[in-house]
Amino acid sequence: MKVSSDILKVYRSLHLWTGIIAGTVLFIGFFAGSLSMFKPAIDRWITPPQEVLQSIPIEKYDQLINQAQEKHPSARQGFTLYLDHQKSQHSPMVWFDEAVDREINLDVYEWQGSLNAQDELITQKVLPSALANLIDLLHRTGGIPGGLGHEFLGVYILGIAAVLYFLALVSGLILLLPSLVKTFFALRDKNKLRFWLDAHNVVGITSFPFHVVISLTVIVFAFHDQFYDSLESVVYGEQPLFNRAPADAKDYQFNELLSVDQLLKKSQAIASDYEVTEMNFVGLQGKRPIVRLSLLNTQEVVRGPITDYAFFHPYNGTLINTTFSTETGSAWNGIVATFFALHFGSYGGDWVRWVYFFLGFSGAFLFYSGNLLWLEKRRIKQKKSQSSVVQRKACYVMASVTVGVCLGSMLAVCVTMLLGKWLHNWVDNINHAYLFVYYIIFLSSVAWAFLKGAARSSVHLLNASALAALALPITSILALLPINPDIEVSYLTWSTYLTNSLGIDLVALLFSGIFYYGAKRTQKRAESGDKDSVWALQAEKQTDDRSDKDFDDDFDPNLALPTPRRQREWQTDY
Amino acid sequence: MSSVTKIQPDWWSKSIAGCLLGFTFALAVSGVFAWVGPGGIEAPNKVQFNMWIIAPIWMLILSFSYLFKTGVRAISWLVALNLLAYIILFAVKGS
Repeated sequence: MKVSSDILKVYRSLHLWTGIIAGTVLFIGFFAGSLSMFKPAIDRWITPPQEVLQSIPIEKYDQLINQAQEKHPSARQGFTLYLDHQKSQHSPMVWFDEAVDREINLDVYEWQGSLNAQDELITQKVLPSALANLIDLLHRTGGIPGGLGHEFLGVYILGIAAVLYFLALVSGLILLLPSLVKTFFALRDKNKLRFWLDAHNVVGITSFPFHVVISLTVIVFAFHDQFYDSLESVVYGEQPLFNRAPADAKDYQFNELLSVDQLLKKSQAIASDYEVTEMNFVGLQGKRPIVRLSLLNTQEVVRGPITDYAFFHPYNGTLINTTFSTETGSAWNGIVATFFALHFGSYGGDWVRWVYFFLGFSGAFLFYSGNLLWLEKRRIKQKKSQSSVVQRKACYVMASVTVGVCLGSMLAVCVTMLLGKWLHNWVDNINHAYLFVYYIIFLSSVAWAFLKGAARSSVHLLNASALAALALPITSILALLPINPDIEVSYLTWSTYLTNSLGIDLVALLFSGIFYYGAKRTQKRAESGDKDSVWALQAEKQTDDRSDKDFDDDFDPNLALPTPRRQREWQTDY
Repeated sequence: MSSVTKIQPDWWSKSIAGCLLGFTFALAVSGVFAWVGPGGIEAPNKVQFNMWIIAPIWMLILSFSYLFKTGVRAISWLVALNLLAYIILFAVKGS
């Protein structure tokens, strides 16, 4: 396909600049997003076995609710039932002393309840681990702290990054159009730059639909409040946006609550092929009591990250809303659920979740390789006029930022997961420890990248990540071994094999290998590649402080003295 | 207008035109759909769908704003497009 050269020129600039500006924060969003595909597994992995109470058969749940609310009046306001507790590793019933909002909570203890063999209530008060939620937060905010209104600042920044990302996608596609057929499956290893460019293109084109979906959904997730407000003031006017159920005039007593069995029957009536995994009772003493049923069906496109939802009135059993299309309800819910599902990968069960996991990492690769290409291309362009390029300061800064932020963030997550297990019995509040460890490692990595330069620090950071990732499965094995009867290792940490989350250890092992391989390759490149690349070890000493403008205007003849290499290039060029 | 043959970058004017006018246009298209699309304005839960279609329309307009020869042309075309869209929106709202 033919595209005129001035269009290509405009879109090449657009692609470069949007990519450079948004690339690093999108990298964090993507790799953390990959991890958040398996949030429940991370929860199981980080929760010590003793923090989960024994399971009970489904017919005993009503008995459990009754006993719990008698002893713990706070449970009358609301509570959550985990019906698939064996798979999800949750205690059967959970409630809080005070109503908590749904956003992330680092300090709030939860009450867990179950029944013992004599059907007597057993409870414990536990600080639930926020690790999986924090990884999800890292995914949504890029780790940028702070708030704006009732939203996280980072969410808006990622929203803006997603706009740039959409522009980069469209412009990248336009750039590839002229040579699409020719280069689609080409992976030329003629020189390093060509190889990276081809890899960047193949990954970009093959996962193009995924990336379009992700960028558009992120824009909506970030700016939906503003979109709704605009719709309200310009389009809807007097019309209500949402049909809200009127407040209940009647006051209900706690003992009028529908039984678990009645709710299961109600759910069966509207969604017979779904399995109820959770029941979340909210505002039971307020004017708008609600029970949210989580409905699992791996064959369906579902609205939430894992399940669909149905909302009932917990006393009179009226169906308030569903996130899927029902025979009597509107079709729009089902259509909108598709958009969410396309972002969450919540269609087709775990198989699709694994596909998304790898797509997420391939996206992160796209941004990393994009920044790398930009740096190398500048060098090679300048080489046309000079024998050996003196890299400008801006290039070193960019290289250090890319290495420090991207690799540093991955290292920080690995170390946080590792220390999260080992520190659990030694700190008061493990959730604050996660944050502390993450930011310390992340900021030190960025500092290290600036101190040592991109070439050296990337080898260090990759090796450190490989070690940290390798330590995760080793921790699980150590916890199983009775190394020394005097030292109870299981007191220090616990094994993954007890908590149904072996997959986390296997993935950590795989990534340990990938990090190690990456470190080896980068080391080799630093030692034997072109010396004037930002990836070479020697070049770091000859930084040039001049700004862009100085560089464009003056051409230092000394730098262009004919060297053997230079002469050779001339001969081949002309 | 002089005989401009090459596309001018005009980054600022084109970006601002695409961002602002692209958004207002997307809002109007979504609004027309809200009123005359299936179910009309009162269809329950339709507002979510209306909100979702703003982003893709907005982004497509923004992405292709750079195809205009100059920033001035981008602004004038998008203003004209907006005028048309809002005339239709207020016509369907009023009826």
